[in-house]
Amino acid sequence: MKLGKKILCGIMTMSLAAVALTGCGKEKDGKTFTVGFDAEYPPYGYMDDNGEYTGFDLELAEAVCELNGWTLVKQPIEWANKDNELNSGTIDCIWNGFTINGREDDYEWSEPYVDNSQVIVVKADSGITSFEDLAGKTVAVQAASAALDVLTDEEAQKALADTFKTLQEFGDYNTAFLELEAGSVDAIAMDIGVAQYQIDSRGDEFIILEEHLNSEQYGIGFKLGNTELRDKVNESLHTLKENGTFDKLAEKYGLTDMICFE
Amino acid sequence: MSFSTIMEQMSMGMFRSMSIFFLTLLFSLPLGLVIAFGRMSKNKIISGIISFLISILRGTPLMLQLMVVFYFPYYLFGMSIGNWRFPAIIVGFSINYAAYFAEIYRTGIEAIPVGQYEAAHILGYSKAQTFFKIIFPQVIKIIIPAMTNEIITLVKDTSLAFSLSYIEMFTVAQQIAARDTTFLPFVIAGIFYYVFNLLVSFIMRRVEKKLDYY
Repeated sequence: MKLGKKILCGIMTMSLAAVALTGCGKEKDGKTFTVGFDAEYPPYGYMDDNGEYTGFDLELAEAVCELNGWTLVKQPIEWANKDNELNSGTIDCIWNGFTINGREDDYEWSEPYVDNSQVIVVKADSGITSFEDLAGKTVAVQAASAALDVLTDEEAQKALADTFKTLQEFGDYNTAFLELEAGSVDAIAMDIGVAQYQIDSRGDEFIILEEHLNSEQYGIGFKLGNTELRDKVNESLHTLKENGTFDKLAEKYGLTDMICFE
Repeated sequence: MSFSTIMEQMSMGMFRSMSIFFLTLLFSLPLGLVIAFGRMSKNKIISGIISFLISILRGTPLMLQLMVVFYFPYYLFGMSIGNWRFPAIIVGFSINYAAYFAEIYRTGIEAIPVGQYEAAHILGYSKAQTFFKIIFPQVIKIIIPAMTNEIITLVKDTSLAFSLSYIEMFTVAQQIAARDTTFLPFVIAGIFYYVFNLLVSFIMRRVEKKLDYY
């Protein structure tokens, strides 16, 4: 049974290593600030060249942490599970191009910091140029996203969505673009900042329709009742705005025109 | 992102996937045997309860079970679950796989003729001795092909840990894909899974051969 022993030995080593790895994840001394974000949401939160998580929102969070002497913990989350993560305390806030509109009463919101619009992306050669052309088409939208809210809200764009053949929900934008490229969907509804990033890296095969679905604002969402932490972060954001860090980051990520934080 | 960085990130993801894989096997293989005994218990209440548990574990999605295990300490008792993420994944996977393994063990144990128990009894073997010295080695031989099936499935199921925001290999692939807006990381992920499963089948075949002594 030499082989059996070898396998067992391997298993033990692996488990020890795994325990050691997870065990040292969080340090007890000093306050940590855990930001929940979708790591598939460039330019707000994504993986950089070296495999580190970065983005406009994460760098801003890093700056806030530096001001307060906190340790930033970047916790990528499954977007559809964000409320569970926030309520159960595994993350301190949702900070990732997080739309306030329509969710006003569900979170303690920071001051809005980015003006965003929901837009429609189509293939450049599809012949779709306006909302009317979308009648009878398949439109993709991320599950649990603000774009989905807009398209299912009676007071917003539900009437438009009713003209679609189907409203297809998907998990991440990369899949949606693959489907758009492959022709299984005709259009994608998404945030303008993300759309811009996708088109920049994919080339001019895709276009954003001139008409926008809505305009809305991004904020940082904290658990209901956690006003203390929210006020601290708000205060820090003001400091960062005054000392220029905020605008520098916005410029770095090409979001200068969209910033609405005063 | 350069190819070497992609490989490096995905290897780290693979390591996390493999930690789930090995720890799940470590706990679910013995647990499955215990559940199998409960399932075959002569006590109607015990076997009834265990049958019901197995039907729940096999009849509901693993992703849902993971979410229940992770969030229930908070929603039920209001406990902080900050460091519970990885243990919750292991608990969820182990219980789920133990249910499947239990039924495989049962197949093997019930395949052994009653005559062997009678013979062992006459030869003066105790119940424990009979099971571990005579029955169990034969059981392993019988169940290895079915076990290999489940173990290979486990390798691929580790990707379900994404539902608890655990960044295993497939989630890393998705993140890189989102960043680079390409399909390449998924191809690499497929190759990683395939190679690892080749290794699993190879080891299982070796074990099968070793046990092929009559």
